[in-house]
Amino acid sequence: MQTIINKQQDETTIQFVGRMDTPAAQEAATMMDKFQEAASGTVILDCSKLEYISSSGLRIFLSIRKAAAAQGGKVIVQDINDNIRNVFMMTGFLNLFEIR
Amino acid sequence: MRAGLLLIIVAAVTLEATSLIQFFYAQRGLRSEATLRAETELEITNNRILDIINQAETAVHNSEWIAKWCLDYPDSLVRVATRLVRDNQVIMGSTVALVPGYLDRHQLFAPYAYEDTDGRLAITSLATPEYDYPEREWFRKPLELGTGYWSEPYVDTGGAGILMTTYSMPVRDDSGNIAAIMTADISLDWLTGVVGDVKVYPSAFSVLLSRQGELMVSPTDSLVMTHTSQELISGFEDTTMQRINRAMLSGGSGSEPLKFGGKMHQIYFAPIEKTGWSMSIVIPEDEIYKGLKKTIGWVSLFQLLGLAMLAVILFAIYRSVLKYKDLNDRKERMDNELRIGHSIQMSMVPKIFPPFPDRKDLDISAALVPAREVGGDLYDFYIRDEKLFFCIGDVSGKGIPASLVMAVTRSLFRSISGHENSPGAIVSIMNQSMSSDNDNSMFVTFFCGVLDLASGHLRYCNAGHNAPFIFTDSIRTLPVVPNLPLGVDKSMTYQEQETDLLFDNALFLFTDGVSEAENSQKELFGEKRIREVLSTRRDAQAHLEAINKAVEAFVGDAPQSDDITMLFLHYLNFHLSLRNEVSQISRLAPFISKIAKVKHLDSTLASSLNLALEEAVTNSVMYAYPEGTEGTVDVEAILNEDSIQFVISDNGIPFDPTAAPAVDTSLGVEERAIGGLGIHLVRKIMDNVSYRRDGSRNILSMTKKI
Repeated sequence: MQTIINKQQDETTIQFVGRMDTPAAQEAATMMDKFQEAASGTVILDCSKLEYISSSGLRIFLSIRKAAAAQGGKVIVQDINDNIRNVFMMTGFLNLFEIR
Repeated sequence: MRAGLLLIIVAAVTLEATSLIQFFYAQRGLRSEATLRAETELEITNNRILDIINQAETAVHNSEWIAKWCLDYPDSLVRVATRLVRDNQVIMGSTVALVPGYLDRHQLFAPYAYEDTDGRLAITSLATPEYDYPEREWFRKPLELGTGYWSEPYVDTGGAGILMTTYSMPVRDDSGNIAAIMTADISLDWLTGVVGDVKVYPSAFSVLLSRQGELMVSPTDSLVMTHTSQELISGFEDTTMQRINRAMLSGGSGSEPLKFGGKMHQIYFAPIEKTGWSMSIVIPEDEIYKGLKKTIGWVSLFQLLGLAMLAVILFAIYRSVLKYKDLNDRKERMDNELRIGHSIQMSMVPKIFPPFPDRKDLDISAALVPAREVGGDLYDFYIRDEKLFFCIGDVSGKGIPASLVMAVTRSLFRSISGHENSPGAIVSIMNQSMSSDNDNSMFVTFFCGVLDLASGHLRYCNAGHNAPFIFTDSIRTLPVVPNLPLGVDKSMTYQEQETDLLFDNALFLFTDGVSEAENSQKELFGEKRIREVLSTRRDAQAHLEAINKAVEAFVGDAPQSDDITMLFLHYLNFHLSLRNEVSQISRLAPFISKIAKVKHLDSTLASSLNLALEEAVTNSVMYAYPEGTEGTVDVEAILNEDSIQFVISDNGIPFDPTAAPAVDTSLGVEERAIGGLGIHLVRKIMDNVSYRRDGSRNILSMTKKI
C-alpha cells in the first residue's frame, strides 16, 4: 500500500492506495506521528483508491480519530468502497467518522 | 505322423496296384505280340518251305507230260529225270520208275539221274533186285493214293548224308492208268537255314517235325533224324508235351505254355502244308517278358525312389509342422504369459482413478502404456501419514528384462518408502540395493517425491530422470539436480530438493516415451507440445487423455516406440503454511482469490472472507509464539458444497481468541478500545467460530455458509 500525505494549511489529505492489510497497516503505522500531528486540523482520509482494510488499518483510522478528538481536529473519510463501508458498518465506525 | 504314414501306405498300395494292372496288361500285350510274332514266323516259314516245295512239285508236274509222252519209249525216260535234276537246283535226283508190268509184267525199269558228291550228273538204275523199288514207300504210296506224295524225310546215305525228301507222283497213260512213278529227290539242306533262321527272340528256337515225328530241324543237331519226338518226350511226365506232340503230329496248330528245363516256355506250332510236317517255335517266357520285367523293374525302382522321397518330404513336412506347431504352442504360451505378465505389471501400479475419492485436496491420475505387452516404465503413489509418496521411473531397455527390473524397482520403492520419509534417502537406499547385484548393467531413471499433503511442502529427488513440469501461474520445468540413474554407482549420494506446492499447483511427471514419441518422419513429440496440451485447464485424468490423444495423433501410423508413462498430480489443498511473520499475511489474498475462483464467490464475500481469515491468522502470527521464536501458522480451507471452513492452527502457546470480550460498537470515539476488532470482525463475518486445543496445537475453526 502506498500512503500519500498532502498538507495544505490546517487541512491534511492522507491518501491510501492499495490494500491495507496487517503488514501494510504496520508499515503505515510508522507514520502515525505525522497523522496525529495533522489531526489537530482537518484530516481527510482519501479512500478512493483503498481496496481493502483489515482491523489493523481500522486501528490506524481510530487512532487518527482519537487524536483529532483530543486535539479538537476533524476527520473526514472520503470515497470508501462498498466492502470497506461494510467493514465500517460491522465495526460501528460509520458512527465514529464523518463519511463523505 | 500317423496321417503321413497312412498317406505313404495308400500311395504305395495305389502305385503297386496300378503297376500290377499295368504289368498284367503289358504281359497280355507282350504275350499276344509274341503270339503274333510266332504265328507270323510260322506262316512265313510255312510259305518259304512251300515256296521251295512247290517249285519242286511244279517242276515234277511240268515234266509229267514228257514222261507220259516217253512212256512208249522207256529209254528216253532217263532224259526226263536228267532234265529235272539238271534244271532244278533243289532236285538232287530223279527217277521215272515204271510200274512193273507196264511194259512187261515182270520187268522193272527205273533210270535214276542224280548229282554225285562232286556235283556232277550221274545216271544209274534203281531196277535192281536188291533195291526192289516197287516195295519202296516213294513208289508204293503214290501208286496207292493215286496222287503226289511227299516222303518222310531221310538222310541220304548214299550221297553227302544230307537231309532229303522225295516227291513222287504217278504218271498216267492216256487211258488213265498209272504207268510210272516219277520222283524228285529234294535236298532239305535249306530247311535248317529257313527254319533255324526263325529267331523271334534271341533264345527262342524252332523245331520241325516230320509226319512221323522225326526231328528235321532242332537246335540240337545230334537229334536231327536220329530221334522222333515221341522218343524225346517219353521221359517227361508232363502230359502237356504229349498233347502238343499229338496235336503237332495230327497237323494241328496252336500255342501252349510248357515248362521244361526249369523254365516256362511258350510253344507255338503249326503244320507245313502239303508236307505233313509240323513246325514249332519255342520261346522262353522270361524272354517274352524280358523287356517288361526290365521296365517293371525300373518302374518299381522309380516308384520306390518316389515313395522314399515322398516319405522324406512328408517326414520333413511333418517335422516342420511339428516345429511350427511347437512354435505356435510356444508362441501362444508366450503370448499368454506376456498377457499375464502385463496384468501382473499393471496390478503393480495403482490404476483405479480417482485413487482417493474422498480427498478433495488431491487430484491424481497416471497412465502406463507399454510399447510391448510388458515394459520397463513404472509409476507409483500412495499416502502414508498424510504424505503422498510418488515416483516415476524408466528402466533401460524394453520388454521382459526391463519389466523384471521395473518390478524390483517398484518393490524397493514401496518397502523403503514405508519407513523412510526423505526422498533423497529413499533414492539413495534404492540405488545401493540396485547397484549391488546389477550384473546386467540395467539402470533406471527415477524421480521420487514426497508431498506433505497438509502443507503442500514437496521434497523430491531426481535420479537421472527428465525433469517434471510444475504448474503454478505458468508451466515451468521443475528445477532438478540431474544425478545419476539408479543402479549405476553404488556409492552415489542423491541430493534432495524441495519446494512448496500451493493450492492449484500441479506436477506432470512423464517418461521419455511421451516427449520422444516418434512419428513416421522421425520427429519427436517434444516438451513444447506437452506444454501446449497441458496449458488447457482440465482435471488430472483429462490431462492424461489429452496427452495420449495428442501423442497418438502425432505418431500416426508409426508403431509405439517406447513405453509411455505419465503422472499428473494436481494439488488442490487450500492450505497455507505461514511463518510467524506479519509479512506472511499478504499471502492470504491470493489464497482467497483462488477459493473465490473455485467457488465462484462475488468480490464482496471474497473480501469479507479475506478479512475474517486475516484477522484470525494475524492473531496467531502475532500472539501464538513468544517474541523472537519462530513458528508456523497453518491455514486450511475446506470447501464444502454450501459452506467454506477455515482451520487455522499453530504450535504456539494456548490462546483462545474467542474468549476475548465482545466489542461494543455503539461506544463513542473516546471509549472505543484500539484492539479487539479482529475477533469481532471474524465473529461478524463467519457463521460459526470455534476454538480447541489439540495436544500442542491451537486450532481455530470458522465456517461461512455460502
